[in-house]
Amino acid sequence: MNTLSLAMIVAVTATAASAHADDVMNDLEIAHAAYTADAIDIRYGHLALAISENDAVRSFAETMIRDHNAVNAAAGELLAELNVSPQDNALSRSLLEGAASKRAELMSLTGREFDCAYALNELGYHQVVNATVADSFIPVVTVAPLRTLLTDALVTFRVHEAHAGRMVTALECAS
Amino acid sequence: MRELSRLSRRGFGQGLGLALVLAGPAEGALAAEGEPVAQVMIRRFNFEPALVTIRAGDSVEWINADLAPHTATGLADDWDTGSMARNASSRIRFDVEGRYSYRCVFHPNMTGEVLVIARDEN
Repeated sequence: MNTLSLAMIVAVTATAASAHADDVMNDLEIAHAAYTADAIDIRYGHLALAISENDAVRSFAETMIRDHNAVNAAAGELLAELNVSPQDNALSRSLLEGAASKRAELMSLTGREFDCAYALNELGYHQVVNATVADSFIPVVTVAPLRTLLTDALVTFRVHEAHAGRMVTALECAS
Repeated sequence: MRELSRLSRRGFGQGLGLALVLAGPAEGALAAEGEPVAQVMIRRFNFEPALVTIRAGDSVEWINADLAPHTATGLADDWDTGSMARNASSRIRFDVEGRYSYRCVFHPNMTGEVLVIARDEN
């Protein structure tokens, strides 16, 4: 894996995200897409725990599972409080399709190849999701508690992005 | 096991803390009850304030305002608040003077320090 691979990850995910996020989404669609993006990263994390033997990669995966579950738990509490259900939408479906393809690719790898592919995907995925949350979701959400939740979640996701960047550097995946 | 009975955490996910306590707490840093004399807010992945000064025998309370769970854990894993979910808190009493540097085990870039001075020190 190299920087081109990261660029491809970003390009593929960004295409999926921007093609649909540019459409005006309502609050419930945004909630669904955000929840879906969280769930996708949780599954990537479980896959990493199943395959990787690298302590740093496993620790990162555990953090992703822990933090994204916490964010989704808070989202679930908010939706229950508001007595609304998230709405499936084209962006959510596109994210799921892309994730299925990425998981299939990751499952074919082992050792260092897997670690680098996972790390680069985590970096690219968080870059795209964070940009989407910041630029496409938060500005258009109309319900204040949901905006607050997304804003708080973005703080968490940006820490993940930085952590993923350090993991990529430490693994020397780009060299 | 003696120290286990002294735990008094509020919150969830205490498995990590339990493991660390069983491994042996630091001399002078114990889970605490009673009113803390210093509070550290965990907000936007920072310990605020990053440095607190207390007297020997006093307690520090950490309160997690983030969505993500956090810990305050000695750098040598010798004391630990355990996992604190959002809005949960945990207290540690420091009986021995010294500098206690710590981090969040889940997010190691988060660091802080407790400075414990003698009770009769100004």
